[in-house]
Amino acid sequence: MAIVPGFSDLTRPYWEQARQGRLVVQHCAACDRIWHPPLPACPGCQSARTGWREVSGDGTVYTFTVVTHPTHFAFADQVPYVVAIVELAEGPRLVTGITGCAPEAVRVGMPVRVCYQRVTDDITLPCFEPVNR
Amino acid sequence: MIRRRVAVAGIGQTEFAKALPKTAWELALEAVRAALADAGVDPADVDGMCRFAPPFEQVSEPMLVRALGIRELAFFAEAPLGGEALGAVVAHASAAIACGLASVVVCYRAISQSRGGRFGRADRGGPSSSSAGDQRDQAPAADVVVPEEDNRSFAWPYGLMSPGQLFALWATRYAAVHGLTNEDLTQALGTVAITQRGYANRNPAAMMRDRKLDWESYRAARVISSPLRLFDLCLENDGACAVVLTSAEVAASLRADPVYVLSATQSLSPYREPMGIYTDDLIELFPPAAAERLFGQAGVGRGDVDVAELYDATSFMTLKGLESYGFVPDGRAWRYLTETGIGPDSPLPVNTHGGHLSEGYLHGLNGMTEAVRQLRGTASNQVAGAEVALVGAPSGSAMILAR
Repeated sequence: MAIVPGFSDLTRPYWEQARQGRLVVQHCAACDRIWHPPLPACPGCQSARTGWREVSGDGTVYTFTVVTHPTHFAFADQVPYVVAIVELAEGPRLVTGITGCAPEAVRVGMPVRVCYQRVTDDITLPCFEPVNR
Repeated sequence: MIRRRVAVAGIGQTEFAKALPKTAWELALEAVRAALADAGVDPADVDGMCRFAPPFEQVSEPMLVRALGIRELAFFAEAPLGGEALGAVVAHASAAIACGLASVVVCYRAISQSRGGRFGRADRGGPSSSSAGDQRDQAPAADVVVPEEDNRSFAWPYGLMSPGQLFALWATRYAAVHGLTNEDLTQALGTVAITQRGYANRNPAAMMRDRKLDWESYRAARVISSPLRLFDLCLENDGACAVVLTSAEVAASLRADPVYVLSATQSLSPYREPMGIYTDDLIELFPPAAAERLFGQAGVGRGDVDVAELYDATSFMTLKGLESYGFVPDGRAWRYLTETGIGPDSPLPVNTHGGHLSEGYLHGLNGMTEAVRQLRGTASNQVAGAEVALVGAPSGSAMILAR
């Protein structure tokens, strides 16, 4: 079993794009602002002309924690796991997981790039992994 | 402004324990009756109530009005967002009293985590798990769908589900921004946990009154969500607290030692709701203007505060609270803790009851009852001559009280 996001009309496009391997954030056609998580209108100019824009998938680790004590049985066999807030190169931040390295290797400020973890037929979670340089 | 127009006439609380035989309703009644007896007010004369909004507070106004035989409430209000109701219930009650909407207002908080679910669990009916809250211990085969509510659907699938995990994100960010080593952070957080445990060891009401905590045990404790260890996280328990607020005139007629409300405030700005993760600056708990409002309305300065009771779901919030309320400059509280500390002989004793870490978790209202005891001169860990106290929650919901 897995913990999967429920959709609303507002959030469905984010998850549909993720399933197809694209990371998108909301965009205002009136003032060109982008933001995450989704809102019914632009938080800058209140325009309802909102849409979605694909972002590069590049970002840095803003902060993180290594969870060693699960608070839900769904994660009991996944500890230790990393929860992070990643700041996208374009600005918005999102909650995500860090994969592709040992939990103890994660650092604040570490460059990361989006990767995709398929959870169910309907759900793919955007996660991030260290950029190999 | 409230400034001394309203006073605390009575306080009451139950025993705090991991599991009590009484329901939250029974606990609320016990605490409210105790507070009214302390104030010398007949329950029938209560005409106002202000409580923490559901899903946190499960005991409703009608349940108390019926059971206490209150004739009629002329004012009742609820403040949302969990711990952010702490200063808010006092602000709302004070405004109602100052405007003549009510004369005797009871604020209360009753918790039965043994029946209603532990706050640190996301799967056993805790208040933040209304939909993913399977009561069973065995993992079901079906997927758990997280409703799109307060952006939870963007966090839970990654395993970010409990307050402790969120505050771990804050602590990691704080250490990175201010250049702390792991050892620096351990010493700062450990100082909070061990100092508060020391207060609890001298407080007969504290759940941890008989359990010592030293550096060896602190360091050896298991990590729950890095960098937070077991002793950095608050207790999970049953219990209740209540306070009785009246006008200054009525309070003075009821008792010789009323405690006055100088100011009480609340604050909300984008993503600074509890568990908000998208704030511009994650570790700025609330806009500095909120603290200025709290002190400006009180008419006192930081140096006038003799004791502070800071909402501590984790040890990190005691640390950051010192900065957010302006007692220590930003980025300096970790050093202040290790060099000066918050113990009985420090310039500003903090969480003198033991706090949520070691007395019990009552959503900050036990910090308020402790502040009232300090200002009456009746606390277990009495700060000599305490005249002004601050009680503060993490996102700017706070009060300043004075004798």
